[in-house]
Amino acid sequence: MAPTPNHSTDMFIRKLGGAARLSDEEREAIAHLPVTVRPLGPHQDIVREKDRPSQCCLLLEGWACRYQLLSEGKRQIFSFHIPGDIPDLQSLHIRVMDHNVCTLSSAVVAFIPHEALLDLTAAFPAIAAILWRDTLVDGAVFRAWMTGLGRRTACEAVAHLFCELYLKLQAMGLARDYAYRLPLTQLDLGDALGLSNVHVNRTLRELRGKDLITLHGGTLEIYKWQELADSCDFDPAYLHLERRTA
Amino acid sequence: MSVHLEPVRVRTGSDDTEGHLVFAADLLVAVLVRLSDDHEEDAGKWFLEAGFDGADDPVKPKFADLDEAQEWIRRRLVGH
Repeated sequence: MAPTPNHSTDMFIRKLGGAARLSDEEREAIAHLPVTVRPLGPHQDIVREKDRPSQCCLLLEGWACRYQLLSEGKRQIFSFHIPGDIPDLQSLHIRVMDHNVCTLSSAVVAFIPHEALLDLTAAFPAIAAILWRDTLVDGAVFRAWMTGLGRRTACEAVAHLFCELYLKLQAMGLARDYAYRLPLTQLDLGDALGLSNVHVNRTLRELRGKDLITLHGGTLEIYKWQELADSCDFDPAYLHLERRTA
Repeated sequence: MSVHLEPVRVRTGSDDTEGHLVFAADLLVAVLVRLSDDHEEDAGKWFLEAGFDGADDPVKPKFADLDEAQEWIRRRLVGH
């Protein structure tokens, strides 16, 4: 079924923690947001560094990432995004983009005009607070990634990322039974974790050799969750998912 | 700057074991490892397993052959 504006406002409500957390008035205001839904192909830029966007992008389907390009074609991926995320939410209050956002897989996005979001958050401070909280959790995830980039071995970093993505997807109802679609290449994983694709390849083989995971045909299966989590000191506290899963 | 190679076997925790130590003026400057068939389209390429002084990069590069690898190492050492 083709995504509709209703689908996008439903996703926005899920993002804000579910209908139960919102008043009738708040839900009504969200339902009337003037969103524009667009399908996008894989590896398509949604917003670029130096852009001055006039809208935010709510991911409805597919995967996206934030990234920056360096000289010699090097790329650093800052974050992976799944349906429900608004990867360029910062553009609501920071005028100029300091990084790029692109799709990694085929995707469907809903563009929400800044003006409408500003009106919504001004009229409903509770919604503004939830979005503010979201940016704080974003910061917590960045801190966890910094630890990964600076202090974890390749095996620990990959394991940590797989655990993080599973819990984020599960919280949005997009993964269960310790398996999920992971439409990322070894290059994507390497660019996120500061590893060469050679090291990513060796690491995936090592994790598979220990019967912890398999990554095949774009599907990740985790066979021993606790062992995988223990191997990288994964503590999900930084994801602050209790609100969604409550 | 001239560099020379000495064959070596390297324990990388994978099937990539065939390697070369790379010396410049008798000082070890890099370790190259040939990528095994595990790496599919990269199989047979030479991977900078370790590099010292300027002959290094945070994300280790791959080279189509040993000549290309040595040229990259020379250029990096001269430029450093």
